[in-house]
Amino acid sequence: MSDLQVQDPPASAPKGGLVTALTAFPRNVWDSIFRHPLPDSDLGASQTSFSNFFLHIHPVKVHRNTLRPLYTMGLGVMSFAIFLLLTITGILLMFYYVPSTTQAYDRMLDLRGSVAFGTVLRNLHRWSAHAMVAVVFLHMCRVFLTGSYKRPREFNWVIGCVLLLLTLFASFTGYLLPWDQLAFWAITVGTSIAGYAPLVGKKIQFLLLGDQAVGQEALLRFYVLHVVVLPALITLLVAIHFWRIRKDGGLSRPAEADLQPDGKPLQVQIVQGNASGKQTFGLMGFVRGPFTKVGNTPDNSVYAWPNLLMAELFVFVVTVAALLLVSLFFNAPLEEPVNVLHPPNPAKAPWYFLGLQELVSYSAFWGGVGVPGIEVALLMLVPFIDRKVSGVGKWFAKERFLANTLFVTFALLNVIFIIIGTFFRGPNWAFVSPF
Amino acid sequence: MKLALAIASAIILIVHGLVFYDQFFHKWERHQTAYFDQARTQARNDAERAELSDRSPKIEQIIVTQFGDNRVDRCTTCHLAIDDPRFKDHFQPLKTHPYSAALGDVQRNGRWERRHKFTDFGCTVCHDGQGRGLETEYAHGNDEHWNDPLTGYVTQANWRKEFKTHLVGKEYMEANCAQCHTEENFPGTPHVNRGRELFFRTNCYGCHKIEGLSEGTLAPELSEAGHKFKIDYLWESIVDPRANLATSFMPKFNLSDEDVKCLVVFLKSRRGVNFAETSLARYRTRMSPAKAEITPEAVLNKAVPKAADLVSQGKQLFEDRACTACHKLGEKDGGIAPDLSFEGKLKDEEWLRDHFRTPRSRVPDSIMPAFRFSDSDFAALTAYLASQQAGAKLADGAEIFKTLCSRCHGDKGDGQGKTAYYLDPAPRDLTKRAFMNSKPDDRFIKSITDGVPGTSMPAWGKTLSDEQVHAVLGYVRTTFVKEPQRNLKAHANVPDANPTPTSKASVANGEATFLKRCAGCHGLKGDGKGPNSLDIVPRPRNLRNRWFVTTLNDRRALESILYGVQGTAMPSWIDYGLTVKDAADLLNYIRSLNPPPAPAPAAGKTIATAGTSPRGTE
Repeated sequence: MSDLQVQDPPASAPKGGLVTALTAFPRNVWDSIFRHPLPDSDLGASQTSFSNFFLHIHPVKVHRNTLRPLYTMGLGVMSFAIFLLLTITGILLMFYYVPSTTQAYDRMLDLRGSVAFGTVLRNLHRWSAHAMVAVVFLHMCRVFLTGSYKRPREFNWVIGCVLLLLTLFASFTGYLLPWDQLAFWAITVGTSIAGYAPLVGKKIQFLLLGDQAVGQEALLRFYVLHVVVLPALITLLVAIHFWRIRKDGGLSRPAEADLQPDGKPLQVQIVQGNASGKQTFGLMGFVRGPFTKVGNTPDNSVYAWPNLLMAELFVFVVTVAALLLVSLFFNAPLEEPVNVLHPPNPAKAPWYFLGLQELVSYSAFWGGVGVPGIEVALLMLVPFIDRKVSGVGKWFAKERFLANTLFVTFALLNVIFIIIGTFFRGPNWAFVSPF
Repeated sequence: MKLALAIASAIILIVHGLVFYDQFFHKWERHQTAYFDQARTQARNDAERAELSDRSPKIEQIIVTQFGDNRVDRCTTCHLAIDDPRFKDHFQPLKTHPYSAALGDVQRNGRWERRHKFTDFGCTVCHDGQGRGLETEYAHGNDEHWNDPLTGYVTQANWRKEFKTHLVGKEYMEANCAQCHTEENFPGTPHVNRGRELFFRTNCYGCHKIEGLSEGTLAPELSEAGHKFKIDYLWESIVDPRANLATSFMPKFNLSDEDVKCLVVFLKSRRGVNFAETSLARYRTRMSPAKAEITPEAVLNKAVPKAADLVSQGKQLFEDRACTACHKLGEKDGGIAPDLSFEGKLKDEEWLRDHFRTPRSRVPDSIMPAFRFSDSDFAALTAYLASQQAGAKLADGAEIFKTLCSRCHGDKGDGQGKTAYYLDPAPRDLTKRAFMNSKPDDRFIKSITDGVPGTSMPAWGKTLSDEQVHAVLGYVRTTFVKEPQRNLKAHANVPDANPTPTSKASVANGEATFLKRCAGCHGLKGDGKGPNSLDIVPRPRNLRNRWFVTTLNDRRALESILYGVQGTAMPSWIDYGLTVKDAADLLNYIRSLNPPPAPAPAAGKTIATAGTSPRGTE
């Protein structure tokens, strides 16, 4: 029980005197900010995590299964890393951007030509936005294929779905801001897809655009949505998403992962503090496993510091490095200034909506509203339809063959439609070969 | 994992290093430093030298406020010496902008003074390019997404190779001169002036509209062509009209490269709004369009005295309005539209007059624009064409075919003459045996003698004798068909006249059958433009061609429906279960689409709106 004891205060009691105060100044400031030194024991690791604002979102201990790289592939952390990167680059870009039809494009030219680091900022923001859509989608695939949306994580899955939609919408609203031909016509196409909804479609389209066509009002609306409303919503939901992970008992894992090494179920042993009061418990002593409890039985968890933190740092650094490399070699597109009278042929929506545009080319209602509506509804309802708890925590579990097959089919169909829309559609939406 | 982490961190560091390097070692800084160094060695006095020593590289820019939207031209960041005469022999970018008396620059006390000062005009007003760019590629507009690269100097990578050499030259800049110098014959812009003249002389104005110049409605408006399109696209559209739109029926005019260039420069100068106009002036022009300062008459009638009689007046107009840009008359041949050499014999004055006013009133699928000439001009032109009475003195069938037929039906008789693409319906392919041998000779004799109403096939009987007609048919049979004609048996069950009198019920039944069986090719409207029509040669017949349908006799129509038209895509419907009664109903329906014209003069309109809509009763 000794490792649960709170660390003693520093051995040397503070002494008076200006000279001492001055010499100790840096040390004192440091100590006032970081209450605990870099940990060298399990206890220290717990305390450091607890007392640090940024770290205390982590549990003190995490299950070994959480750290298996091939289980999560780090996709959730990756999404968050990209979101942070987008926030930072986005704020920097806001210093130069004016949401005005007469100035926006010129500002893009300035960013490319004369603003220091303008090109790389824009590239990073652009490619990160695309990457985030892709990574969030893959994250959802991981969660589904490991059955992790099941009880008690149903609500977190729903939040995740909402976050995916918000990510798409944030990317879509940002697409208009450069105010070039690509942006203008992509948004024109994208918002007319929304217009195919029965009854309310045209109203939604008008609400989005503030006008009958894409113009100054639309630019302003998209700008406000893009820089204020959507990031705020995403931040809030991400916070809930993270919080729920802990409250739902950490990441999903197979049932056998909670067995003791000898194969017996984990016994939670409750230890009462004794009456003499000689032993004190830190709060972290209560935290182990899914729920608050006290005990010191062997289990399959490891300390978050350094294991989880290193893994997260790794994903973060690799993500940033990859995006920086891409941004170094590929410039974000900037096409001709907007010409309302001269639509490109074909006018294409952003790539993540090209699957929908492809479907719209067959049937306006089904492509624009029917199919995506049903897909989103099914996605959100899936944890409430599929109630069996077997097969959780394993990729492609045999017990979940049907669910996984259905999901993979739908996901692949969407990807195929996007690929067709992106590469195989030429002027007048005729089929062309990219080769 | 630690190794991977280290590598990833190193990548981050290196990328940052590269980005920083890029930011702090600009090319333009090197140009500026070079300029300061060289200018210092040439400086005349210490003060100048000291001033140059104090200067350090910075982004230079000219903000131009007087020409359209505000422009920011940063060109002088690299081209620092444009106003420094000492650098006139230096290489770019540190070269003095040449002084030119033609541009209005004047020499005072040995120093040149510019008429177009850079502080007022900046650079891109005349040169185009992207003023805000600081990298050569973007600033000069090499980037394919920039609409106006340095005009006359820079061609973009994706432009067609065979055009690129034509698209270089200072004369392209005249398009920008014309933004302010809008006078019709401004001496500084000879290419624009010539282009404007060609716009009328090659009859572009008949189809294309340019605000203040022309009123054509058949083809896309070009008022903002210079703003919308790059010069390579303009060039391509003129020399190869079908490159961008496969269904375009714009003729390929035989223009010299120099003329194409003039047209491109002229079109590039059409930006919708030019700097010389105030919004008030624009409004005034719009309110009184009659006052359009430049008209076809103004451009083309220059120094042409009005001739005394109508015919010679018409002759002048005919030459002036460049009818031979498309048509043939005598030696002049535009290679696009029918030969008018025998027009006076072939057509009566009424036909000519109608056709002038609305070409589609007589040939419903004609591509000839309706020119907006005055009534007296039309009268003169009609009189002139009616005077083309030269008879064809032609020896044998071969010569007749070569002179009269091959221009449309082709030298090989395959219907691929030089005008064939522009004619609708297309000239018959005379080598198609299935067709040629399935019709009796009287049918061909009749087509040659009386022509085919509603198409471009004229009634040659008015200029050829019966023997000549037979001779040319014989020539076609021996040279192109090359197969003796079989004995044709008339289909006994096809009546000579429509057995079912027209009635509402019959028309409704015909319409239902039409929508089910015929609309796929002949179109819902019966105009021959159904969804399948594009792949079919010869094209399905336009059943709203009033002239054709009204002269079509019942027997031929019923036979075509029931037994098909050999050598075409029209199947034999009797094999698909249609009865004589069905065919009769169909014929009644088709005839109901083409009622006899109302007494009103606008015959074309009657055709367009007449009859019940094919969708009406469904």
